[in-house]
Amino acid sequence: MASLRHGPRPWTFYALAIFFALFVLFLYGPMIVIYVLSFQGPNGGMTFPINGVSLHWFKALIEQERTGDIAGAFRRSLVLACIVGALTVLFSVMAGLGFRRRFRGSNLVFYMAIASLIMPGLFVSLGIGIGFQLLGIPLAWYTSALGAQLTWTLPYGLLIMFAVLGRFNRAYEEAATDLGASNWQRLTQVTLPIVLPGIIGVALFGFTLSYDEFPRTLLAAGSTNTLPLEIWAMTTNVTSPALYAVGTVTTVVSFIVITAALTAIALIERRRLRRVSAAEPTIGEG
Amino acid sequence: MNTERRTGEIQLVNLTKRFGETVAVDGINLTIPHGSYCCLLGPSGCGKTTMLRMIAGHETPTSGDIRIGGASVVGQLPVRRGTAMMFQSYALFPHLSVLDNVAFPLKMRGFDRDRRHAAAREMLSKVGLERFAERLPVQLSGGQQQRVALARSLINNPRVLLLDEPLSALDEYLRLRMRGELRRIQREFGITFIHVTHTQLEAIAVADVLVVMDQGRIAQASSPRVIFDQPRNPYVARFIGGQNVLGGIVESIADDITMLKGDQGARLAIRTGGSRPQLGSQLYFAIRRDRVILSRASEKETISGRPNVVRGTVHAIEYQGSYVKVTIDVPGLEEFVANISDSAFFVDPLEIGHSVFASWETRDVHLLESENHAQTTEPHLETALS
Amino acid sequence: MSQSLDTVAPDAASGWHRVAKLPPQLVSWLEVGPLALILLLFFGVPMLIVLVVSFFDYGRVQMIPAFILDNYIELFTSSLTLRLYLTTLKYVVIVWAVTLVIGFTVAYFLVFHVRSLLWQIGLFLLCTVPFWTSNIIRMISWIPFLGRHGVFNQALMAFGLIHQPLSFLLFSDFAVIVAYVHLNTLFMIVPIFNSMARIDPSLLEAASDAGAGRLRVVREIVLPLSKTGIALGSIFVITLVMGDFFVVKVMSGGQSSTVVSALSTEIASLQYPPAAASSVILVVIVALIVSAILRLVDVRKELTG
Repeated sequence: MASLRHGPRPWTFYALAIFFALFVLFLYGPMIVIYVLSFQGPNGGMTFPINGVSLHWFKALIEQERTGDIAGAFRRSLVLACIVGALTVLFSVMAGLGFRRRFRGSNLVFYMAIASLIMPGLFVSLGIGIGFQLLGIPLAWYTSALGAQLTWTLPYGLLIMFAVLGRFNRAYEEAATDLGASNWQRLTQVTLPIVLPGIIGVALFGFTLSYDEFPRTLLAAGSTNTLPLEIWAMTTNVTSPALYAVGTVTTVVSFIVITAALTAIALIERRRLRRVSAAEPTIGEG
Repeated sequence: MNTERRTGEIQLVNLTKRFGETVAVDGINLTIPHGSYCCLLGPSGCGKTTMLRMIAGHETPTSGDIRIGGASVVGQLPVRRGTAMMFQSYALFPHLSVLDNVAFPLKMRGFDRDRRHAAAREMLSKVGLERFAERLPVQLSGGQQQRVALARSLINNPRVLLLDEPLSALDEYLRLRMRGELRRIQREFGITFIHVTHTQLEAIAVADVLVVMDQGRIAQASSPRVIFDQPRNPYVARFIGGQNVLGGIVESIADDITMLKGDQGARLAIRTGGSRPQLGSQLYFAIRRDRVILSRASEKETISGRPNVVRGTVHAIEYQGSYVKVTIDVPGLEEFVANISDSAFFVDPLEIGHSVFASWETRDVHLLESENHAQTTEPHLETALS
Repeated sequence: MSQSLDTVAPDAASGWHRVAKLPPQLVSWLEVGPLALILLLFFGVPMLIVLVVSFFDYGRVQMIPAFILDNYIELFTSSLTLRLYLTTLKYVVIVWAVTLVIGFTVAYFLVFHVRSLLWQIGLFLLCTVPFWTSNIIRMISWIPFLGRHGVFNQALMAFGLIHQPLSFLLFSDFAVIVAYVHLNTLFMIVPIFNSMARIDPSLLEAASDAGAGRLRVVREIVLPLSKTGIALGSIFVITLVMGDFFVVKVMSGGQSSTVVSALSTEIASLQYPPAAASSVILVVIVALIVSAILRLVDVRKELTG
């Protein structure tokens, strides 16, 4: 068989490449349709053909009466995502460090996290909703919904920290101790800086998972909606391209956040590779 | 720093380390003189790395004591002991520049940036890497990384430097070069080095004190010359290389020479001096490979009469540059090797399958202690510093 | 060595003095504590609440605390339950099969056919980017695509392949499955990609040296070694599909119901106890399926890396 690693590509490469291209088209196609449709003029409908080109529907989002409380939901979702992201980082990183030792109950916590990940979100939401109701506490996006979303993001954060810390070479920590670092210095000057890209990944997951979260928040948000909940309401009420406009806007926001996070990681790596003066000799001598 | 604590003399007293059921280090007693270059040599699992890590403070002894400069250090943090460790993987912090890596210990001690950077630069120039101060470890070659790791561990003025297989990650050429570097730096700083390795040639090249270890115990501790020329027991003889180990039953004793009866009826003579071994007991001895003389044997010739001769068939011939390694199949022996100088060999080269006599002088025979006599009491380090 | 460094007293914040040591177990508990607490409060307890409520009685709009088995009995004796489960399983099996084939193929392509690491990462990211958008948006995006006047139909008609718009494309089982596949394939790709990436490429070369054709190599070497990835991916996809309610509601136009979509209707009418009972049964069944998969394949090592 023609080698996969070297030499001319076998025919299967082209076949699989076409398959892959079709798959990518499958993933992106519908989304692009929505983006295009959201730029329609005031007479635009829900499907093709396109009727005019304008930013009409984006403006419509801000007007509350016709399209619900989009702006408010948007604001709430952003704030909530920031809080969830921050808490996810804090608690997942701590827990990840804790799991490096064997401790009583570690299996219990681990399986609880996995169960929380797999459990259909609606049920978690149901439990929280009923629970708050029984306790007489009002549901709110910054309390019950926050907790509900954390049950979704924390397991992901934990798994990421497992992967990151698992690859981490303990020799760095031993060297730090050997060279005089206290436990705190070792943590802040050696361990955390080295796993920083992973931590940014956790923050990214925490933010976007929260920002897009729907089933868990559905019954736990109380009287005001997050953006996904608002969109859900719109699917039944709104029959205009305003819905598509929302889709475009939220996608843009997600993109900005992800790009920012990945850029941050790239910048950290880049800053560590300081410029090397041209006069310095190349690697090669012993 | 109290000057009385400055000496880097290390004493291990009944040092033991158990991991569950396994005994990694078994009641070791050893004194390493201040300012010497000590090598711990042995195969994987012999306990050398565990011993090193206990001296460093990264492992706690199960029982026994470790004294540095006369004071016990068990339970103290590594940095408090005045020891520094160089890790096998170097463990250079990937997120810090070379300069910041070397300055790290000073940062931990609270020195401000200018002072510690200045000290770090000075240290880097001592290892010849001042031009690489701003680079990241990943941009350096293996040998350069090692020198940075060395600089980093020396900057706090430790009295003992512990090196965990420092040369294993390097290729052959660099290994030979860095060997000299390590020796030079040790002499220049005058501190005690403890260097763990499983490579015999490396150990005898750098060490003042060579400690050969076997399953958690010290088999022999002395200068490299003594260990190479007068190994204590068959284990050390086989491990250090360059020796053939033979054995025989005591047949007769005359004056200070004991005659043994070996396999094939070979008669083997050892100089045993004043001690009188028991008749019928088994003795082992070593004969250096380069002290063996080979001669062709014709079909009919027998050993008869002459002592210290064995007969065998040439099994393998390996050219090693200045000498030729000839492995001979001798019935009853595991391995018998003669190192013949190249000029001598190529006068009349042997071939595989040839019958040969291998002989040697009685004065080159070195009596070995029996296999099970493991070292438990403090060895007499007569030629510790040559 | 410069003399000055030896004479300056070291800073107290360094490791020169013994730091008060907490027992390591306690430190771990403190570190894991917050996460464990939140999971307990917002996951563990609510699940118990659902369990408890499943035994409650209920009126028109309120719950009546009690301990009755009526909810469960109704569920077990109703033929509706069976139909719902059959519908759900139908979707699950089809979606699982399709995502498995697509996921395996895409992962195989990325790991073994793409030679440059940069391209591998780039193409992988290309696949993951759509998943950063809200599920609902992505689901809705199929409506203008599949509808009678949608892009797909218009394209087919433009190419002359059909003369009447295909109506089965939207608000049908087909639409539901397409949406599920669209939303969940990544969950199959990632674990399988991970598993495959761990396979030593020289194993495949050794196999082909021994005379195995490409397909044989996949069957004999790649497939068995990707078992953990396939198991993990399957667990994700199966639990996601079984636990979903909004995709099936919207994409089938309300014509089709699965267990959870029927459940969500009950919740909307504030009939919590029967919904809770239905949830409990579903969780048990999902747990059985997951443990069956885990029994076949050991994934613990893969998860903890």
